[in-house]
Amino acid sequence: MKKVLVLVLVIFAFGCSKKYVQPHDEVDSNIVAVKEEISHEESHGKGDMDSSVVDESLFEFKDALFDYDKYTIRPDARDALDSVATWLNSHKGINVMIEGHCDERGTNEYNLALGEKRAKAARDYLIAQGISSRRMATITYGEEKPLCPHDNEACWQMNRRAHFVVTK
Amino acid sequence: MKKKLRVKSYKLRILIFISSFFIINFSFLTPSYSKVYIDITSPAFRKLPISISYKGPEEAKEIAGIVENDLDFTGIFYPMDPDILGAEIKVKINVEVTEKLKADAIVFDLIKNKEILIKSYTAPRKILRALAHSISNDIFSLLTGKEGIFRTKIAYTSSSSNKKWLYISDWDGHNPSRIVSRGLSLSHTWSLDGWKMIYASERKKNWNIYKLDLRNSSETALFSSKGLNLVGGISPDNRIAFSSSKDGSSEIYVMNINGSSVKKLTRSFGIDVSPVFSPDGSQIAFVSDRGGSPQIYIMNSRGRRLKRLTFQGSYNTSPAWSPDGRWIAYVGRKNGKNQIFVIKSDSTEIRQLTDEGNNENPTFSPNGMFIAFDSDRYGSKGIYLMNINGERQTRITPNGTKAMNPKWSPYFK
Repeated sequence: MKKVLVLVLVIFAFGCSKKYVQPHDEVDSNIVAVKEEISHEESHGKGDMDSSVVDESLFEFKDALFDYDKYTIRPDARDALDSVATWLNSHKGINVMIEGHCDERGTNEYNLALGEKRAKAARDYLIAQGISSRRMATITYGEEKPLCPHDNEACWQMNRRAHFVVTK
Repeated sequence: MKKKLRVKSYKLRILIFISSFFIINFSFLTPSYSKVYIDITSPAFRKLPISISYKGPEEAKEIAGIVENDLDFTGIFYPMDPDILGAEIKVKINVEVTEKLKADAIVFDLIKNKEILIKSYTAPRKILRALAHSISNDIFSLLTGKEGIFRTKIAYTSSSSNKKWLYISDWDGHNPSRIVSRGLSLSHTWSLDGWKMIYASERKKNWNIYKLDLRNSSETALFSSKGLNLVGGISPDNRIAFSSSKDGSSEIYVMNINGSSVKKLTRSFGIDVSPVFSPDGSQIAFVSDRGGSPQIYIMNSRGRRLKRLTFQGSYNTSPAWSPDGRWIAYVGRKNGKNQIFVIKSDSTEIRQLTDEGNNENPTFSPNGMFIAFDSDRYGSKGIYLMNINGERQTRITPNGTKAMNPKWSPYFK
């Protein structure tokens, strides 16, 4: 049925209330926070290297590698972890952050959880080698920070890793 | 060579995003027709031939172009040159630009030889695209009886060096606006009214859940604990499903949108992640590797009546419910690549929708007609849209930028 509207003004405001907010300050402070975070991370990294009193060559811990979709410790991973354990045992004052990583196949969320499992598996192994749990923290990056960008198994294997970073 | 996602000043973009909701409409004709122009549920429907002509300054051509692009994308219209015979529906757009933009849209039914819509739109010049999308929405709902999605948004992540930031763009990829710039952020979900974003972000070596109010850019922490906290989806009564490994293993939890009433729903030794509510809020689909490999499971919203949904394929993740609750889209690994499938929520039917490159993270449009996803088929990952039957797979983010994890917004209220 056809209706003819004569002089009926329908004012349509889509969405939000009439309040028209100018998000100045929060927006600016967010951007400032990003800049601060970046410079803090950079200087933190430099600080580690400069203040070390240890053999430089041992700072580059070999990554512990994992099979596809697995977080069990393989024999070659055991070797890498044993080196870390030896080093930590002879540098008692130093702590380590264990990062869990994945290759980029699979969903981001699932890979974050898988990366966490890998970091925790490495940590559990080191605890079994006598390293105090208080010296080791874990963080997962899933597939977000790959070491190798290519689309092949060699690259993917490099990315499926637990990586060790010395912290204060 | 990586190009930065071209984004105007952050402030300006947020203002445009908010102000795009201020469009004033005058309707001189209330359409309430019994004639069904397009029955998109009918398996044998044919495309409706439609012509769009315009009159006025430069802006008229731009608006008509956007309307034609919107309608063409749906795959149910057949845009025709206005000078050629054959159109059944004729759209005329007359535009005037004074201090504001004013457009009159007139829709003719050429078969019945009468006008079926006369509507007038007014908006500030800088939100021309939103005005055009309004016209598209009205034409679309007039002719199909369904709500148009042309003013909805897509939230997605984009990588830049070591960071992963959250962006919002128009449904067609235009007007990208960065909304979260701190650290690594992903696993986001829209609030029911579209005015908040809930997401996980890695800050200072911890993954916690935050809520961002898009109207004033203020961020609040919703859930933090040791371990990994990731957002899943939201229920129609405003509960958030999320995963947390605070008790050792990644499990499924729900909480209210203000962070209260946290309830643990699963208890397994493996990985439970990516929980999404069914549209009626009664069920939750999620990913679990409790059977040895990641598969999709369904349980009720209290964590009971758990059953496995996917049995084909060795690696199935990323579930997303269709708005009518009948289908679940997910990512399945096939021949070494990730593809998007849909499975009936009673497991009785599976369809594969993609086959080129790696395709992940499906999300439905609120009218259930389209799916957005990310794909690396042409090199760097970008956001693509397609019809729910897999047709018309179209990239909406620029080549050379890296964009992924799309989440389609609800209708904005």
